[in-house]
Amino acid sequence: MIGRVIRYGTAALFTVAALFPLAWMAVAGFKAKTEVVATPFQFFPEMWRWENYALLLGDAAFLRSLAVTFTGAVLFAMLSLAVNALGAYAFARLDFALKRTLWFVVITTMFVPGIAIMLTSFVVVTQLGMLDSLAVLVIPGAASGLQVFFLRQYYLGLPVALEEAAQLDGAGPWRVFLHIFVPLSKGAFVVVGVTSFLAFWNAYIWPVLTITDPELFQVQQYLATFRSDRSSEMGLLMAGSTLAALPVIVLFLCFQRHIIAGIRISGLK
Amino acid sequence: MLAPLLALLGVFVVWPLVHAAYISFYTWSFYESPVFVGLGNYLDVLTDHEFVGAVLRGLAFSAMVVPAQVAVAFVFAVLVKSLSRRMAAFMKVTIYIPAVISEVIAAIVFSLIYTHRGGLLNWFLALLGKQEDTAWLGESGTALAAVAVPAVWLGVGVASLIMLAGLLDIPETYYECASLDGAGPWTKMFRITLPLMKNIILFLLVTGFAASLQFLVLPLVMTQGGPVDSTTLPNLFIFRHFTNDLYIGYSIAAALLLFAVLGAVSAVIFRLVRSEKAMDG
Amino acid sequence: MRVIRLTACLTGAAVLALGCGPGADEQPGGRTEITLWQQKFTDQEDAWYKKAVAAYNKAQNKVVLKHQIVPADAWDQKMKAAQAAGKAPDLYTLNYNKAPGFARTGQIQALDPLIPAAKWTGLQEPVLRSVEYKGRKYAYPMLVEPSAVLFYRKDLFAKAGLDPNRPPATWAELISYGKRLTTRDVSGVVTAGNAIDMAWSTWGMQWNAASHLPISDDWAAPRASDPAYRQLLQVYQTLYQQGIMPKQPLAPYADANPIGQGKAAMMVCGSWAASVLLSDYPQLVPNIAAAALPSFDGDSAKPTATLGGWTLVVDAKSKHAQPAADAISWLLAGDTKLLVDYFKTTKFSKYSPRAAVADAVKNDPAAAENPWAKIIEDQVVARAKPEPTYDWAISLAFGKAIEKALQGKDIDAALKAADAEIKEFIAKNDLAGQGS
Repeated sequence: MIGRVIRYGTAALFTVAALFPLAWMAVAGFKAKTEVVATPFQFFPEMWRWENYALLLGDAAFLRSLAVTFTGAVLFAMLSLAVNALGAYAFARLDFALKRTLWFVVITTMFVPGIAIMLTSFVVVTQLGMLDSLAVLVIPGAASGLQVFFLRQYYLGLPVALEEAAQLDGAGPWRVFLHIFVPLSKGAFVVVGVTSFLAFWNAYIWPVLTITDPELFQVQQYLATFRSDRSSEMGLLMAGSTLAALPVIVLFLCFQRHIIAGIRISGLK
Repeated sequence: MLAPLLALLGVFVVWPLVHAAYISFYTWSFYESPVFVGLGNYLDVLTDHEFVGAVLRGLAFSAMVVPAQVAVAFVFAVLVKSLSRRMAAFMKVTIYIPAVISEVIAAIVFSLIYTHRGGLLNWFLALLGKQEDTAWLGESGTALAAVAVPAVWLGVGVASLIMLAGLLDIPETYYECASLDGAGPWTKMFRITLPLMKNIILFLLVTGFAASLQFLVLPLVMTQGGPVDSTTLPNLFIFRHFTNDLYIGYSIAAALLLFAVLGAVSAVIFRLVRSEKAMDG
Repeated sequence: MRVIRLTACLTGAAVLALGCGPGADEQPGGRTEITLWQQKFTDQEDAWYKKAVAAYNKAQNKVVLKHQIVPADAWDQKMKAAQAAGKAPDLYTLNYNKAPGFARTGQIQALDPLIPAAKWTGLQEPVLRSVEYKGRKYAYPMLVEPSAVLFYRKDLFAKAGLDPNRPPATWAELISYGKRLTTRDVSGVVTAGNAIDMAWSTWGMQWNAASHLPISDDWAAPRASDPAYRQLLQVYQTLYQQGIMPKQPLAPYADANPIGQGKAAMMVCGSWAASVLLSDYPQLVPNIAAAALPSFDGDSAKPTATLGGWTLVVDAKSKHAQPAADAISWLLAGDTKLLVDYFKTTKFSKYSPRAAVADAVKNDPAAAENPWAKIIEDQVVARAKPEPTYDWAISLAFGKAIEKALQGKDIDAALKAADAEIKEFIAKNDLAGQGS
């Protein structure tokens, strides 16, 4: 009995701690600009105002930014998967020259602070003529040391016997990868895919640097238009953030079983 | 098969890094002709007590965030394992949802929660009988911890699910055998669960550490690094120099030094927990 | 099922990528394209820029001016990245205090060869001097706004038994009024509360307290340990330690919302606060009065604020410097009506350094809607100093000293530390002799 109380009490605590700030954000979206920061603290608005949400949902620029960001995020997730899974497979199963050195390089890229290479990456994409295109958002960040690390750990855990039979039949590494590894990686792929999607969705500085065409504005870029030095449209910002978070939450709800299963089978050990 | 990975990393990470390292040896503003200063920028950074302070503060911040995150994740995993299937599913979704929120929004929401007069936290503590309001973000003693809370909040979802997955991978038979031998819950925890979770905890420590040392937006929005620099984390320090300096050599040198610190500390963590498989190729 | 969804997504992506990709630079009639970056201001200001740019594009057919609004929190990153890649905009908005530094490091072009002398006449002399470097002018002034004005609630004054028509004349008075006005929900005084905001918002108080800034005029030596600064730090320490100002900032200094939200009885803010109050809190306007900050020695002729504001500059590497400068002439030195519209849009909360525009603004019948404009102009703007032009690190060192005082640390030690920090910065950056 006491055990049960403690268990459910703790569960309730976790739920409140995790969700309260979000609920607050969503409710604040119904408040007038000045009400958001009103003291003393009030959770619910004096009057439920739909204006903020209505304004955003009626704004073609906002909807377009959602659509463009969504498209970019899907492309980004798929490209990351392809690139990082291939690399992870190579590091897990193949032998090649300089393997240790290259692995060290890949792992090291996990720790490069973004600000160190922000300017020089921008120079690269400028020289490649990539500015103001979806490509500049999708391609540069697709390769990720962290994801290669994660996927390689997973592949190391798969028994070698799996591919030996195929290799006896003369299958090369590509066939082994496509026909044996990919089908087994569903869960791990979902994890990597969702992580990439999220990273893309919440990116702000890189899009601001590289995208000037309003047609290609990303959702965080759009939300930044409610923040300025001398005034902030708090209610709108909160409503916008809520609407921006919704697609990702829905995505997570759809994939949650796979994500959790994916993390499970990738067993980092 | 490696080609795409190496090509992308090469073009968009390694080359810019090399280029940045090259710039760090110059006094550079893009407009005047750059002046070679050798290690001058690095010396400036290393002799700058504010940089050293920021790095130490960053480590202190990590020491708050990472263990808290791992501990919460562990408690969560143990809890969820004991819940009914439907409750467990609900909890798993719940804990993950904060991870989808952008740092800016998290910073704004938590700043409002910490409001000194009439803020939610002080209101709640007053209910519990606390007499005086605390200016959580306004006092150098509490500000860093106050910024650490949303950092944990943002990162705990992923950590929890990874932890849970590891926990569920431990075969139930281990515990059954232990029970037969008369082991209590604590013995099981220390003899079975923790040893078998070592690699997962390692993974969470390393990735958590790398992430926590790179927070920028939280302190920038919540405190602007104050009061009296008590929340000037390394990345914020570098960011400030980056935005305010007329030359960029200093901030790039500082960022590269931070990179070195991150790499070194991570290597130490790897070694300490000694996971050969993780480091070897 | 999933495959179908994926395919649909991909197709959608391809369509979007094609449809939304960068269009070819089709400029009808071979017009040159030049770009203008404008920092994100209030929505009304942004709209004015958009309108002005459209008008310019209509008024001539040689160039097309492309206008882009850049969020303030991303400005520096975006600008530096663009500069590194040789993609900086041809012209952009810049603060007065940054212009000489940008000129010194060769980031912007001298404008006097590009903009005819006649266009520079009628601009206030001190403002012109603040955009000069080595005898040449590098930025064209658009507006000035004093950084520190005291706004206060007359109704709360009356309620606390104070005379609503008598703002505090000394700092001692300001502190005692503040104490009487502070309640659980209302702060007696709201002002800058962290080192960064205090670094620039107190420039006027720094002048006022010591008749100089914390560095010598030629930038050769620090002057932060001047005992005259003790009173400034002491005021902040008292306000904070006695709980008269908020223990943690309610909003950034530049944000005027706290007084509008009823959280402040007195608030120190720039003159721009007026436009926020007029547009967002009209019902409060009759209850709010404005005054100059007190002087430390009671001499009200001394400066209490500095004049900040915005200029337009031309990038040093711009390939279209002349057309860019022509655009500046047209926008800022041409038809006064266009600018009067700007000052109207901002509710007369900013001031034009150009005599012709300033006169037209004053004579505009709508000017009366800002009840504080005249007091601010006569008592604050008229006595204000231009913003300092030295590196931000100098200002920040002093801001940190005030913050230490705020947190209850020893005032002399804080000033001494700032002095040492400024000295070190001078040495490391060869600042000596760069000042004017």
